[in-house]
Amino acid sequence: MEHDAMNLKDPNSMNRILGIVLRSGVVLSGVVIAIGTALFIANHSLDDTSSYLAYNPSSIPHGSFPVSISSIASGLLSLDPFSIIALGFLVLLATPVVRVALSLFLFAAEKDRKFVYLTATVLAILLFSMLATPLIPLFNG
Amino acid sequence: MIVILFFLILLLASIAAGALGSIVGIGGGLIVIPILTLFLRVDIHYAIGASIVSIIATSSGAAATYVKDRITNLRIGMFLETATTTGAIIGAAIAAYLGATILEAIFGTILIISLVPLVRKIGEEYPPRQELKGIAKKLNLQGDYVERDGRKIEYNATNPGKGLAGMLVAGLISGLLGIGSGTFKVLSMDLAMKLPMKVSTTTSNFMIGVTAAASAGIYFARGDVNPLITAPVALGILIGASIGTRLLVKARNTAVRKIFALVLAGSALEMILRALGF
Repeated sequence: MEHDAMNLKDPNSMNRILGIVLRSGVVLSGVVIAIGTALFIANHSLDDTSSYLAYNPSSIPHGSFPVSISSIASGLLSLDPFSIIALGFLVLLATPVVRVALSLFLFAAEKDRKFVYLTATVLAILLFSMLATPLIPLFNG
Repeated sequence: MIVILFFLILLLASIAAGALGSIVGIGGGLIVIPILTLFLRVDIHYAIGASIVSIIATSSGAAATYVKDRITNLRIGMFLETATTTGAIIGAAIAAYLGATILEAIFGTILIISLVPLVRKIGEEYPPRQELKGIAKKLNLQGDYVERDGRKIEYNATNPGKGLAGMLVAGLISGLLGIGSGTFKVLSMDLAMKLPMKVSTTTSNFMIGVTAAASAGIYFARGDVNPLITAPVALGILIGASIGTRLLVKARNTAVRKIFALVLAGSALEMILRALGF
Protein backbone atom coordinates (compact mmCIF):
# COMPACT_ATOMS: atom_id res chain seq x y z
CA MET A 1 0.00 0.00 0.00
CA GLU A 2 2.98 2.26 0.64
CA HIS A 3 4.54 2.35 -2.80
CA ASP A 4 1.93 0.83 -5.08
CA ALA A 5 -1.81 1.04 -5.34
CA MET A 6 -3.96 -2.01 -4.66
CA ASN A 7 -3.72 -3.79 -7.97
CA LEU A 8 -5.58 -7.05 -8.60
CA LYS A 9 -2.94 -8.02 -11.16
CA ASP A 10 0.02 -7.69 -8.79
CA PRO A 11 0.71 -10.82 -6.68
CA ASN A 12 2.15 -8.82 -3.78
CA SER A 13 -0.86 -6.60 -3.38
CA MET A 14 -3.14 -9.64 -3.88
CA ASN A 15 -1.37 -11.35 -0.99
CA ARG A 16 -1.87 -8.23 1.10
CA ILE A 17 -5.56 -8.03 0.18
CA LEU A 18 -5.87 -11.71 1.18
CA GLY A 19 -4.33 -10.93 4.60
CA ILE A 20 -6.61 -7.94 5.16
CA VAL A 21 -9.76 -9.86 4.13
CA LEU A 22 -8.87 -12.80 6.41
CA ARG A 23 -8.16 -10.55 9.38
CA SER A 24 -11.38 -8.57 8.86
CA GLY A 25 -13.43 -11.77 8.62
CA VAL A 26 -11.95 -13.17 11.82
CA VAL A 27 -12.33 -9.90 13.76
CA LEU A 28 -15.91 -9.40 12.54
CA SER A 29 -16.84 -12.97 13.48
CA GLY A 30 -15.22 -12.61 16.91
CA VAL A 31 -17.03 -9.32 17.60
CA VAL A 32 -20.44 -10.69 16.51
CA ILE A 33 -20.02 -13.83 18.64
CA ALA A 34 -18.86 -11.72 21.60
CA ILE A 35 -21.98 -9.50 21.31
CA GLY A 36 -24.28 -12.55 21.21
CA THR A 37 -22.46 -14.06 24.17
CA ALA A 38 -22.69 -10.85 26.22
CA LEU A 39 -26.43 -10.61 25.52
CA PHE A 40 -26.96 -14.24 26.51
CA ILE A 41 -24.87 -14.10 29.67
CA ALA A 42 -26.53 -10.85 30.78
CA ASN A 43 -29.84 -12.71 31.17
CA HIS A 44 -28.94 -16.36 31.61
CA SER A 45 -25.58 -16.59 33.46
CA LEU A 46 -27.09 -18.65 36.30
CA ASP A 47 -29.31 -20.94 34.17
CA ASP A 48 -28.64 -24.66 34.28
CA THR A 49 -26.88 -25.79 31.08
CA SER A 50 -28.78 -29.10 30.80
CA SER A 51 -31.83 -27.50 29.18
CA TYR A 52 -29.63 -26.10 26.40
CA LEU A 53 -27.59 -29.25 25.87
CA ALA A 54 -30.23 -31.95 25.35
CA TYR A 55 -29.50 -33.55 21.98
CA ASN A 56 -32.56 -34.46 20.04
CA PRO A 57 -32.04 -34.59 16.28
CA SER A 58 -35.56 -35.89 15.61
CA SER A 59 -37.04 -32.60 16.79
CA ILE A 60 -35.15 -30.27 14.45
CA PRO A 61 -35.72 -27.35 14.53
CA HIS A 62 -34.88 -27.66 18.23
CA GLY A 63 -36.53 -24.41 19.15
CA SER A 64 -33.63 -23.55 21.44
CA PHE A 65 -31.31 -22.49 18.63
CA PRO A 66 -31.51 -21.79 14.86
CA VAL A 67 -30.33 -24.40 12.32
CA SER A 68 -31.10 -22.62 9.05
CA ILE A 69 -30.30 -19.28 7.44
CA SER A 70 -33.95 -18.22 7.55
CA SER A 71 -34.32 -19.01 11.26
CA ILE A 72 -31.11 -17.05 11.97
CA ALA A 73 -32.51 -14.10 10.00
CA SER A 74 -35.80 -14.07 11.91
CA GLY A 75 -33.92 -14.53 15.21
CA LEU A 76 -31.70 -11.54 14.44
CA LEU A 77 -34.75 -9.29 14.09
CA SER A 78 -35.67 -10.04 17.69
CA LEU A 79 -32.01 -9.80 18.85
CA ASP A 80 -31.99 -13.46 19.87
CA PRO A 81 -28.47 -14.10 21.33
CA PHE A 82 -28.21 -17.60 19.82
CA SER A 83 -29.04 -16.25 16.35
CA ILE A 84 -26.34 -13.59 16.74
CA ILE A 85 -23.80 -16.27 17.74
CA ALA A 86 -24.87 -18.43 14.78
CA LEU A 87 -24.39 -15.41 12.48
CA GLY A 88 -20.85 -15.02 13.85
CA PHE A 89 -20.27 -18.71 13.12
CA LEU A 90 -21.44 -18.24 9.51
CA VAL A 91 -19.02 -15.32 9.07
CA LEU A 92 -16.22 -17.53 10.41
CA LEU A 93 -17.30 -20.34 8.09
CA ALA A 94 -17.12 -17.97 5.12
CA THR A 95 -13.45 -17.05 5.68
CA PRO A 96 -11.88 -20.28 4.33
CA VAL A 97 -14.19 -20.11 1.30
CA VAL A 98 -13.25 -16.48 0.63
CA ARG A 99 -9.61 -17.47 1.09
CA VAL A 100 -9.81 -20.10 -1.63
CA ALA A 101 -11.78 -17.77 -3.91
CA LEU A 102 -9.22 -14.96 -3.51
CA SER A 103 -6.37 -17.44 -4.10
CA LEU A 104 -7.89 -17.92 -7.53
CA PHE A 105 -7.20 -14.23 -8.25
CA LEU A 106 -3.75 -14.54 -6.68
CA PHE A 107 -2.77 -17.33 -9.07
CA ALA A 108 -4.34 -15.44 -11.98
CA ALA A 109 -2.19 -12.44 -11.03
CA GLU A 110 0.85 -14.72 -11.05
CA LYS A 111 -0.28 -15.92 -14.52
CA ASP A 112 -0.17 -19.49 -13.21
CA ARG A 113 -2.80 -21.19 -15.34
CA LYS A 114 -2.36 -24.68 -13.83
CA PHE A 115 -3.01 -23.36 -10.36
CA VAL A 116 -6.00 -21.31 -11.47
CA TYR A 117 -7.59 -24.61 -12.66
CA LEU A 118 -6.48 -26.47 -9.54
CA THR A 119 -7.90 -23.78 -7.23
CA ALA A 120 -11.13 -23.61 -9.24
CA THR A 121 -11.47 -27.38 -8.72
CA VAL A 122 -10.98 -27.06 -4.96
CA LEU A 123 -13.48 -24.18 -4.82
CA ALA A 124 -16.03 -26.21 -6.80
CA ILE A 125 -15.66 -29.26 -4.52
CA LEU A 126 -15.84 -27.02 -1.45
CA LEU A 127 -19.00 -25.24 -2.57
CA PHE A 128 -20.63 -28.49 -3.67
CA SER A 129 -19.84 -30.07 -0.33
CA MET A 130 -20.99 -27.06 1.72
CA LEU A 131 -24.18 -26.25 -0.14
CA ALA A 132 -25.32 -29.45 -1.84
CA THR A 133 -24.41 -32.34 0.47
CA PRO A 134 -26.68 -31.20 3.37
CA LEU A 135 -29.57 -31.70 0.92
CA ILE A 136 -28.55 -35.19 -0.24
CA PRO A 137 -29.92 -38.00 1.98
CA LEU A 138 -26.79 -40.18 1.38
CA PHE A 139 -24.73 -37.76 3.48
CA ASN A 140 -27.16 -37.41 6.32
CA GLY A 141 -26.90 -40.85 7.89
CA MET B 1 -23.75 -26.79 35.75
CA ILE B 2 -24.51 -23.07 35.50
CA VAL B 3 -24.03 -21.27 32.20
CA ILE B 4 -21.25 -18.91 33.31
CA LEU B 5 -19.08 -21.70 34.75
CA PHE B 6 -19.60 -23.90 31.67
CA PHE B 7 -18.64 -20.95 29.52
CA LEU B 8 -15.47 -20.13 31.46
CA ILE B 9 -14.21 -23.73 31.53
CA LEU B 10 -14.74 -24.08 27.79
CA LEU B 11 -13.18 -20.67 27.07
CA LEU B 12 -9.97 -21.55 28.97
CA ALA B 13 -9.70 -25.01 27.40
CA SER B 14 -10.23 -23.46 23.96
CA ILE B 15 -7.50 -20.85 24.48
CA ALA B 16 -5.08 -23.72 25.16
CA ALA B 17 -6.41 -25.69 22.17
CA GLY B 18 -6.08 -22.67 19.86
CA ALA B 19 -2.49 -21.94 20.93
CA LEU B 20 -1.40 -25.57 20.55
CA GLY B 21 -3.39 -26.16 17.36
CA SER B 22 -2.04 -23.10 15.55
CA ILE B 23 1.55 -24.19 16.31
CA VAL B 24 1.31 -27.83 15.24
CA GLY B 25 -1.24 -27.47 12.43
CA ILE B 26 -4.18 -29.29 13.99
CA GLY B 27 -7.69 -28.13 14.76
CA GLY B 28 -7.88 -28.38 18.52
CA GLY B 29 -10.54 -31.11 18.57
CA LEU B 30 -7.97 -33.19 20.41
CA ILE B 31 -8.50 -30.98 23.48
CA VAL B 32 -12.04 -29.69 22.91
CA ILE B 33 -13.77 -33.06 22.29
CA PRO B 34 -12.63 -34.87 25.49
CA ILE B 35 -13.25 -31.75 27.63
CA LEU B 36 -16.81 -31.66 26.31
CA THR B 37 -17.63 -35.36 26.41
CA LEU B 38 -15.70 -36.62 29.44
CA PHE B 39 -15.62 -33.57 31.68
CA LEU B 40 -18.69 -31.53 30.74
CA ARG B 41 -20.78 -34.60 29.78
CA VAL B 42 -21.97 -33.10 26.50
CA ASP B 43 -23.43 -35.31 23.76
CA ILE B 44 -20.78 -36.51 21.24
CA HIS B 45 -22.72 -34.91 18.34
CA TYR B 46 -22.37 -31.47 19.89
CA ALA B 47 -18.72 -32.23 20.69
CA ILE B 48 -18.00 -33.04 17.03
CA GLY B 49 -19.92 -29.90 15.96
CA ALA B 50 -17.71 -27.94 18.38
CA SER B 51 -14.64 -29.60 16.90
CA ILE B 52 -15.65 -28.34 13.43
CA VAL B 53 -16.00 -24.82 14.89
CA SER B 54 -12.60 -25.09 16.58
CA ILE B 55 -10.89 -26.29 13.38
CA ILE B 56 -12.22 -23.38 11.31
CA ALA B 57 -11.44 -20.86 14.08
CA THR B 58 -7.87 -22.17 14.46
CA SER B 59 -7.29 -22.11 10.71
CA SER B 60 -8.76 -18.66 10.08
CA GLY B 61 -7.42 -17.16 13.33
CA ALA B 62 -3.87 -18.17 12.47
CA ALA B 63 -4.16 -17.54 8.72
CA ALA B 64 -3.83 -13.76 8.78
CA THR B 65 -0.43 -13.99 10.51
CA TYR B 66 0.87 -16.87 8.44
CA VAL B 67 -0.17 -15.21 5.16
CA LYS B 68 1.68 -12.04 6.19
CA ASP B 69 4.82 -13.94 7.22
CA ARG B 70 4.52 -16.16 4.14
CA ILE B 71 5.37 -19.41 5.91
CA THR B 72 2.28 -21.20 4.58
CA ASN B 73 2.89 -22.64 1.12
CA LEU B 74 -0.38 -21.84 -0.65
CA ARG B 75 0.62 -23.76 -3.81
CA ILE B 76 1.44 -26.98 -2.00
CA GLY B 77 -1.65 -26.55 0.20
CA MET B 78 -3.96 -26.03 -2.75
CA PHE B 79 -2.40 -28.95 -4.70
CA LEU B 80 -2.97 -31.30 -1.73
CA GLU B 81 -6.41 -29.86 -0.95
CA THR B 82 -7.81 -31.42 -4.16
CA ALA B 83 -7.20 -34.86 -2.58
CA THR B 84 -8.34 -33.88 0.92
CA THR B 85 -11.70 -32.44 -0.10
CA THR B 86 -12.36 -35.38 -2.44
CA GLY B 87 -11.51 -37.81 0.38
CA ALA B 88 -13.75 -35.90 2.79
CA ILE B 89 -16.78 -36.19 0.49
CA ILE B 90 -16.20 -39.92 -0.06
CA GLY B 91 -15.73 -40.36 3.70
CA ALA B 92 -18.95 -38.51 4.53
CA ALA B 93 -20.85 -40.58 1.98
CA ILE B 94 -19.68 -43.96 3.34
CA ALA B 95 -19.69 -42.97 7.03
CA ALA B 96 -23.18 -44.38 7.47
CA TYR B 97 -21.98 -47.86 6.45
CA LEU B 98 -18.83 -48.09 8.56
CA GLY B 99 -18.45 -48.33 12.31
CA ALA B 100 -16.47 -45.52 13.95
CA THR B 101 -14.89 -47.92 16.44
CA ILE B 102 -12.89 -49.99 13.98
CA LEU B 103 -11.80 -46.83 12.10
CA GLU B 104 -10.57 -45.19 15.28
CA ALA B 105 -8.61 -48.32 16.15
CA ILE B 106 -7.02 -48.42 12.67
CA PHE B 107 -6.12 -44.76 12.51
CA GLY B 108 -4.88 -44.70 16.10
CA THR B 109 -2.56 -47.58 15.21
CA ILE B 110 -1.33 -45.83 12.04
CA LEU B 111 -0.55 -42.72 14.08
CA ILE B 112 1.42 -44.73 16.64
CA ILE B 113 3.43 -46.48 13.90
CA SER B 114 4.22 -43.11 12.29
CA LEU B 115 5.84 -41.98 15.55
CA VAL B 116 8.88 -44.12 14.61
CA PRO B 117 10.02 -42.19 11.49
CA LEU B 118 9.03 -38.94 13.19
CA VAL B 119 11.20 -39.61 16.24
CA ARG B 120 14.07 -40.71 13.99
CA LYS B 121 14.28 -37.18 12.55
CA ILE B 122 13.41 -35.41 15.80
CA GLY B 123 16.61 -33.30 15.84
CA GLU B 124 16.40 -32.23 12.17
CA GLU B 125 16.09 -28.44 11.87
CA TYR B 126 15.90 -28.30 8.05
CA PRO B 127 15.32 -31.20 5.62
CA PRO B 128 18.22 -32.00 3.25
CA ARG B 129 17.75 -30.13 -0.04
CA GLN B 130 15.59 -32.18 -2.42
CA GLU B 131 15.83 -32.18 -6.21
CA LEU B 132 12.75 -30.63 -7.83
CA LYS B 133 11.52 -33.16 -10.39
CA GLY B 134 8.43 -34.80 -11.95
CA ILE B 135 5.02 -33.45 -10.94
CA ALA B 136 6.63 -31.32 -8.24
CA LYS B 137 8.67 -29.55 -10.93
CA LYS B 138 5.72 -29.20 -13.33
CA LEU B 139 3.62 -27.59 -10.60
CA ASN B 140 6.56 -25.69 -9.13
CA LEU B 141 6.05 -27.13 -5.64
CA GLN B 142 8.85 -25.24 -3.94
CA GLY B 143 9.14 -22.17 -1.81
CA ASP B 144 11.00 -20.17 0.76
CA TYR B 145 10.37 -18.30 3.98
CA VAL B 146 12.39 -15.95 6.12
CA GLU B 147 13.34 -16.90 9.68
CA ARG B 148 13.22 -14.24 12.40
CA ASP B 149 16.99 -13.83 12.26
CA GLY B 150 16.73 -12.88 8.59
CA ARG B 151 17.92 -16.14 7.03
CA LYS B 152 16.00 -17.17 3.92
CA ILE B 153 15.12 -20.87 3.95
CA GLU B 154 14.54 -22.41 0.53
CA TYR B 155 13.02 -25.84 -0.01
CA ASN B 156 11.69 -28.17 -2.72
CA ALA B 157 8.86 -30.65 -2.24
CA THR B 158 9.45 -34.29 -3.12
CA ASN B 159 7.14 -37.35 -3.44
CA PRO B 160 3.98 -35.37 -4.41
CA GLY B 161 2.21 -38.67 -5.21
CA LYS B 162 2.76 -40.02 -1.71
CA GLY B 163 1.69 -36.64 -0.35
CA LEU B 164 -1.56 -36.79 -2.33
CA ALA B 165 -2.23 -40.36 -1.17
CA GLY B 166 -1.67 -39.33 2.46
CA MET B 167 -4.06 -36.41 1.99
CA LEU B 168 -6.75 -38.62 0.47
CA VAL B 169 -6.56 -40.74 3.64
CA ALA B 170 -6.59 -37.57 5.77
CA GLY B 171 -9.72 -36.42 3.92
CA LEU B 172 -11.39 -39.80 4.38
CA ILE B 173 -10.72 -39.65 8.14
CA SER B 174 -12.18 -36.13 8.28
CA GLY B 175 -15.32 -37.18 6.46
CA LEU B 176 -15.73 -40.41 8.41
CA LEU B 177 -14.94 -39.24 11.92
CA GLY B 178 -15.71 -35.51 11.75
CA ILE B 179 -12.25 -34.53 12.88
CA GLY B 180 -9.69 -32.30 11.17
CA SER B 181 -7.00 -34.96 10.79
CA GLY B 182 -4.33 -32.25 10.91
CA THR B 183 -1.93 -34.82 12.37
CA PHE B 184 -2.17 -36.89 9.20
CA LYS B 185 -1.68 -33.84 7.00
CA VAL B 186 1.43 -32.72 8.88
CA LEU B 187 2.83 -36.27 8.76
CA SER B 188 2.36 -36.47 4.97
CA MET B 189 4.17 -33.18 4.40
CA ASP B 190 6.92 -33.82 6.94
CA LEU B 191 7.70 -37.48 6.26
CA ALA B 192 6.78 -37.92 2.57
CA MET B 193 7.22 -34.48 0.99
CA LYS B 194 10.14 -33.45 3.23
CA LEU B 195 9.12 -29.84 3.83
CA PRO B 196 10.52 -27.80 6.74
CA MET B 197 8.39 -28.53 9.84
CA LYS B 198 7.00 -24.99 10.14
CA VAL B 199 5.94 -25.05 6.48
CA SER B 200 4.18 -28.38 7.11
CA THR B 201 2.27 -27.21 10.18
CA THR B 202 1.22 -23.82 8.76
CA THR B 203 0.21 -25.36 5.41
CA SER B 204 -1.80 -27.99 7.32
CA ASN B 205 -3.32 -25.09 9.24
CA PHE B 206 -4.57 -23.62 5.96
CA MET B 207 -5.87 -26.96 4.74
CA ILE B 208 -7.81 -28.03 7.83
CA GLY B 209 -9.97 -24.90 7.60
CA VAL B 210 -10.96 -25.63 4.00
CA THR B 211 -11.66 -29.32 4.72
CA ALA B 212 -13.73 -28.50 7.81
CA ALA B 213 -15.70 -25.80 5.97
CA ALA B 214 -16.59 -28.41 3.34
CA SER B 215 -18.39 -30.55 5.93
CA ALA B 216 -19.64 -27.74 8.19
CA GLY B 217 -22.88 -27.33 6.23
CA ILE B 218 -23.94 -30.88 7.06
CA TYR B 219 -23.28 -30.48 10.78
CA PHE B 220 -24.96 -27.09 10.94
CA ALA B 221 -28.12 -28.24 9.14
CA ARG B 222 -28.25 -31.35 11.34
CA GLY B 223 -28.34 -29.13 14.45
CA ASP B 224 -24.96 -30.28 15.81
CA VAL B 225 -23.52 -26.77 16.08
CA ASN B 226 -24.88 -25.58 19.45
CA PRO B 227 -24.40 -21.81 20.05
CA LEU B 228 -23.86 -22.25 23.80
CA ILE B 229 -20.79 -24.35 22.91
CA THR B 230 -19.83 -22.50 19.71
CA ALA B 231 -19.44 -19.14 21.47
CA PRO B 232 -16.76 -19.99 24.09
CA VAL B 233 -14.98 -22.38 21.71
CA ALA B 234 -14.76 -19.85 18.84
CA LEU B 235 -13.74 -16.94 21.10
CA GLY B 236 -11.22 -19.03 23.06
CA ILE B 237 -9.66 -20.52 19.94
CA LEU B 238 -9.30 -17.11 18.27
CA ILE B 239 -7.50 -15.78 21.38
CA GLY B 240 -5.35 -18.91 21.61
CA ALA B 241 -4.45 -18.85 17.91
CA SER B 242 -3.20 -15.27 18.15
CA ILE B 243 -0.86 -16.43 20.95
CA GLY B 244 0.22 -19.59 19.11
CA THR B 245 1.05 -17.84 15.83
CA ARG B 246 3.35 -15.41 17.66
CA LEU B 247 5.18 -18.35 19.23
CA LEU B 248 5.47 -20.30 15.99
CA VAL B 249 7.16 -17.63 13.90
CA LYS B 250 9.95 -17.45 16.51
CA ALA B 251 10.16 -21.19 17.23
CA ARG B 252 12.78 -23.59 15.89
CA ASN B 253 11.62 -26.39 13.59
CA THR B 254 13.00 -28.99 16.00
CA ALA B 255 10.90 -27.54 18.85
CA VAL B 256 7.75 -27.60 16.70
CA ARG B 257 8.44 -31.24 15.74
CA LYS B 258 8.91 -32.25 19.38
CA ILE B 259 5.59 -30.67 20.39
CA PHE B 260 3.96 -32.29 17.36
CA ALA B 261 5.31 -35.74 18.35
CA LEU B 262 3.73 -35.34 21.81
CA VAL B 263 0.43 -34.23 20.29
CA LEU B 264 0.55 -37.17 17.87
CA ALA B 265 1.08 -39.64 20.71
CA GLY B 266 -1.80 -38.05 22.65
CA SER B 267 -4.05 -38.11 19.61
CA ALA B 268 -3.28 -41.78 18.88
CA LEU B 269 -3.93 -42.72 22.51
CA GLU B 270 -7.23 -40.82 22.52
CA MET B 271 -8.41 -42.61 19.35
CA ILE B 272 -7.48 -46.05 20.63
CA LEU B 273 -9.06 -45.43 24.05
CA ARG B 274 -12.25 -44.28 22.34
CA ALA B 275 -12.21 -47.40 20.15
CA LEU B 276 -11.86 -49.53 23.28
CA GLY B 277 -14.94 -47.86 24.71
CA PHE B 278 -13.57 -45.38 27.26
